[in-house]
Amino acid sequence: MYEFLGKIQDLGLSQAVRGDLGYEWLFPIVETFHVFFLALVFGSIVMVDLRLLGLTSRDSLVSRLSREVLPWTWVAFILAACSGTMLFMSKAQTYFYNREFDLKFLFMFLAGINMMVFHFGIYRKVGSWDSTFPTPAAARVAGAVSLLCWSLVIVFGRWIGFTT
Amino acid sequence: MFRPFADWIATTKLSLLFQNVLWIIPLSQSIHILSLATLFGAVAMINLRLLGVGSSGRSISQLVNTMIPWVWRALAVLLLTGTVQTIAEPVRQFVTPAFWGKMGMIVVVAIMTLLFSRSVRSNAARWDNPTTRPGSAKAFAVVSTVLWLAIITCGRFIGYTWFFYAQG
Repeated sequence: MYEFLGKIQDLGLSQAVRGDLGYEWLFPIVETFHVFFLALVFGSIVMVDLRLLGLTSRDSLVSRLSREVLPWTWVAFILAACSGTMLFMSKAQTYFYNREFDLKFLFMFLAGINMMVFHFGIYRKVGSWDSTFPTPAAARVAGAVSLLCWSLVIVFGRWIGFTT
Repeated sequence: MFRPFADWIATTKLSLLFQNVLWIIPLSQSIHILSLATLFGAVAMINLRLLGVGSSGRSISQLVNTMIPWVWRALAVLLLTGTVQTIAEPVRQFVTPAFWGKMGMIVVVAIMTLLFSRSVRSNAARWDNPTTRPGSAKAFAVVSTVLWLAIITCGRFIGYTWFFYAQG
């Protein structure tokens, strides 16, 4: 595995992002784009989660808000994943054996499970609670778990930079 | 002229505390990112709506009334955590052009946002009707988005002071 990660690190793109090819500014630039995209991912998810908790956007149907916001979330998520992959490739051996890196992806995985439980669970009956308050307990739990998991993804993501 | 001031801050007990307790800076930066993401999400929803590509289910005044309070709440947390980071690493902050550029742009975008939200609140009907909406609506959306992206960029580059000195 370590050798394979070494091969990833030796790719031209990895070297460029790392700054070995004379583009010292590339790593911070890719990081900056990663922050743009994660801001859109987290910011958009927060607005949906707060609605599930009944704390804001009470004048919007849950289904309508989801349809309006979540496509942007997915586009931003894909772009965050691409920029994140570039950052990973530049120091693959370091990041792969980093505890904070593992924790970040653990919480992203849990956020994904939570999303699926919500989507295939209480959200299938959203028509019956689209504009009622308080929102169903299952929806509030999904919103709170999502906020917690995504916050930890960002916290551990930031922490990676202090441990490598 | 700011260097002696920065050097003085760096010797205060509070700064030494922030420097020596290892989790304070990463935690403060993490909260800073969570807040900027919340702010940027709220700003993006308003600006995309002004550009006609999102949040069509709500009028502009509804969206402004819902989202602007989140912008100010997030900005308050950003100022607080940013102050912690400045006290902890004053020299890094004050010598970097990225820091001063960021502060200048925050003042500009905050004033713009305040004037915009006041205008929407006092003339909701005018803003909600596409035919009477001020022509500056789209310009506001573009300038505000660009400024926030530039602020985030400067913020990230404060961490790379060498970038401004390694050149040439």
